[in-house]
Amino acid sequence: MKVLEGLRAIEPGTIVPVGELGLPVAGTKGLLLVFWKST
Amino acid sequence: METEESCRAWREEFRLDFPVIPDAEGDLFRAFTNGWVPWSVLIGPDGRVVFSENEFDEEGFSAAIRQLYQEPTATKPAIRPRVQSAGRTVILGGGTGGLVAARELQRRAPAGHRVVLVDRSADHVYQPSLLWQMVGQRRPEQFRRPLHRLERKGIKFHQADVEELDLDSQIVRTTAGDLEYDSLVVSLGAQLAPESVPGFDQIAYNLYTSEGCAQIHSALEALREGAIGILITSMPFKCPAAPYEAAFLAESFVRQAGIRRNVEIHLFTPEHTPMPVAPAALGESIADMLAARGINYHPLFTFSELRPETKEVVASDGRTHKVDLLIGVPPHQAPEVVRASPLLGVSGFVHSDARTLQTNRPGVFAIGDVATVRLPSDKALPKAGVFAHAEAKAVAAQIADELEGKTSGASFDGKGYCWVELGDGRASWAGGDFYADPEPRLKMRRPGRPLHWGKIAFEQWWLRHWL
Repeated sequence: MKVLEGLRAIEPGTIVPVGELGLPVAGTKGLLLVFWKST
Repeated sequence: METEESCRAWREEFRLDFPVIPDAEGDLFRAFTNGWVPWSVLIGPDGRVVFSENEFDEEGFSAAIRQLYQEPTATKPAIRPRVQSAGRTVILGGGTGGLVAARELQRRAPAGHRVVLVDRSADHVYQPSLLWQMVGQRRPEQFRRPLHRLERKGIKFHQADVEELDLDSQIVRTTAGDLEYDSLVVSLGAQLAPESVPGFDQIAYNLYTSEGCAQIHSALEALREGAIGILITSMPFKCPAAPYEAAFLAESFVRQAGIRRNVEIHLFTPEHTPMPVAPAALGESIADMLAARGINYHPLFTFSELRPETKEVVASDGRTHKVDLLIGVPPHQAPEVVRASPLLGVSGFVHSDARTLQTNRPGVFAIGDVATVRLPSDKALPKAGVFAHAEAKAVAAQIADELEGKTSGASFDGKGYCWVELGDGRASWAGGDFYADPEPRLKMRRPGRPLHWGKIAFEQWWLRHWL
């Protein structure tokens, strides 16, 4: 996985380069990212 | 952030078969969130972010998933940036206006709408009680309430300093992260600027802070003789009656302490009459009550300087008075973050529409002491909690109506009132229509004990009801 420098993608409607980021979205209906902390 | 090992262990424990991406350096977290957890992001197969919210908004999230499944990827239209009912209102300031706006909006808004209140302090302070603290009738803990209690009502409390209002991007930047908003309510109050008066911190006690009122109480207890001064350094100041109430309460205090004959009391103000927005008869009535109590009233006293070495208060026309205990009303100004924003009007505060409280930016409202509202007489509506309260209700109703797709008829009617503490367990009361043309139509009630009890009952109700 590669993170692009300076990427800000909070606003709905933003298009993120999923291929470059290596996010496993190909062949799916979409991807859910949940950020959480276990403690 | 979680390590790769902890992610793997978690996956195994719950037998999860979907990919779990460790973000040990927090790069994704910074790219996709405002710094809060939990945060959910839904990305379409074309890389479009279709949902991004702190915590979990079931309604908005379900709608976004349904859209992803219903629409073929190739022809999928851009999903609108914000689902209205799942939008967010950010309220800046946890004073009277902010609290009422938050509670009212949470009560009225459609399910899923987020209400976030931002304040630098952990506590709300009910400011009318400061006058009673000044004469030892209240302790600070009796009129403070923790703002985190709002969370019980479903309101997010974000404790932080507001650093910037990025109105073009609809983002409030705070010391604890950025907050996007659909509607913004600015209720940051007026910032006190005692530091702009040289010598204030040496000889004056600030009437508008709990610390200042504690100092005034100690100084009154220690006083045996001399002159008490109540000084209004500049206009505007909040709660037009407060300095007069301070004079009445101080007079009552020294009389009950048995030292009244040894103490002079002076009230210095740039106003030509007490509460000049009100009809002349009301100001004359207050002036008569000052005279009846032997309080020396100095109208049109345009403050020039303090002389700490001689404990003197000086007016621009040269009038000079020596005081032994000085109760000060410091200059008021809009908070720095507002002064640095395009919201600032020529009055030095934010100009709000008299009925809707809308500012010069759509979806941005300013209420309470941070706002300047023009009356038909072209004077400004006084800065007072009662107006912040009513303005907040009008704004919350407008936002809620808009969220439901209704044309809102909600507006602020300009009605207001206040109690005037007179000491000795007595109070007066004045109220009416401040939007009456050509000047406010107000009535004053005969002073008495029931009005004092009414003021206490209102304090108790307010603190119980709103926090």
